Amino acid sequence: MRATLFLPFATTAFLIATLAHLGFFDLARLSRGMRNLGILGAELVPPDMGILSTAGAALWETVEMSFAGTLLGFVASLPLSILGTRRLFSSWVSGFARFIAAGIRTIPVLLWAIVFVILLGLGPLAGTFGIAAYTVGYLAKIYADLFEGTDPEIMEAVQSTGASKWQLVRFVILPEAANAVLAQVLFMLEYNIRASSVLGFVGAGGLGFVIQIYLQTLDYRRLATVLLLVLVVVLAMDGISAWLRNRFLLSAQAT
Amino acid sequence: MTQQAGEPYALQADRLWYSYRNRDWILRAIALAVPQGQHTVIMGPSGTGKTTLLRVLAGILQPSDGSVSVFGRPIQQLSRRQLSALIGYIPQQLGLVRNLSAIDNVLMGALGRISDSQALLGLFPRAEIDKAEAALDMMGIAHKRSAQVFHLSGGERQRVAIARTLLQHPRVVIADEFASDLDLALASEILDRIRTAADRENITFIMSMHRIGLARQFGDDVLALKNGEINPGFIGNEVLEDARSEVAL
Repeated sequence: MRATLFLPFATTAFLIATLAHLGFFDLARLSRGMRNLGILGAELVPPDMGILSTAGAALWETVEMSFAGTLLGFVASLPLSILGTRRLFSSWVSGFARFIAAGIRTIPVLLWAIVFVILLGLGPLAGTFGIAAYTVGYLAKIYADLFEGTDPEIMEAVQSTGASKWQLVRFVILPEAANAVLAQVLFMLEYNIRASSVLGFVGAGGLGFVIQIYLQTLDYRRLATVLLLVLVVVLAMDGISAWLRNRFLLSAQAT
Repeated sequence: MTQQAGEPYALQADRLWYSYRNRDWILRAIALAVPQGQHTVIMGPSGTGKTTLLRVLAGILQPSDGSVSVFGRPIQQLSRRQLSALIGYIPQQLGLVRNLSAIDNVLMGALGRISDSQALLGLFPRAEIDKAEAALDMMGIAHKRSAQVFHLSGGERQRVAIARTLLQHPRVVIADEFASDLDLALASEILDRIRTAADRENITFIMSMHRIGLARQFGDDVLALKNGEINPGFIGNEVLEDARSEVAL
């Protein structure tokens, strides 16, 4: 009983201490913040629709970057995750593959974008590669864990037919994981569309550049238009991925 | 049954001991010898080591001590492909790939005979596809050829698993609790089909079961396993009682 109560109490105490340290209980500051929020909110409306074509073009560039970057990253993550599957390869090989994925993942997407701006110059190409790099690190880890979780009975049954390692990948591991693989790519695409709208901050193309200008010039009514556009795209992505899930992940709901 | 003098047994186990990570012994000095073409059923209460015994016999687990040989050849000395030409294994949950079709699952029985590059492109030789279709037909499920395994019923999945093993052409098939969650009539029909197929190709079957009626129907020999020990040719009363209580239909 004492042991079961300890964890929630300790967690709550730690949460309160952290919040205090972060200034959460500074009421004067919070009330000032609320006033400012009111002012900011008032300045956001009505959104300035005059910039729709400029923002629309930048938004399309962001969508292109996310789409190409996600697909490139996905393709590169597959071999890396297969090599990282401990059940298929020695701990040296799988450990090395996992180390690479962890290294890539350590660097946030914004820093990857800066690296590629340095390598490739300003523009959407740098952003695309930045997104691809981050996607590789993330998906390789998720997929390697997923592949490792393949039902051992199925692995044993197919191994006993004399199947080789690569035949197991082709006929057991990938088909068994297919639903989750697709679901993760769709999630990553949504995530990248949201994440890539800030890549323009570092000159890596897309909507971020426009957002940055409107923020710096305190042009909040135009900023509101841009944010609304992002919302529309994220909602559209939600719809598209729901449709794809229904179309391709049939077996998850069939009886 | 038809064992000739001097002919090696299809499957022979000698003083098999097994324990997981040095805990209690799960198998104790198991010895058995199965003549070619004979169908052997292993019965016993749950948790008595049936699955472990079958996995050791199939070469999936290494025994802690003792040895298993198939047609006189110790299985530790065989490569995975050599072993796959001799022994087929069907786990309790069948080990089918749910997202693939029935025919694709059956074709996996041929993986031991085709190259990696053919397999990666999914290019099975025409002859293998014909044989896979014949195996589905033999198990009475040719009409579900293209259906995803996910959409098949329990009985249909059992048929697909057997068809996959038939395509593998092993000389010994080891099956764990086969047909045990089907109703009696269906299980009986499937076991009949297996017997026909096995007798035609002179395959030796070793199956664990817990239903005495089916065991008598299918097995030429019924072995009782209790607390990791085996009594060849003898069914202990407790095993019988356990089996009866589980049938109770």
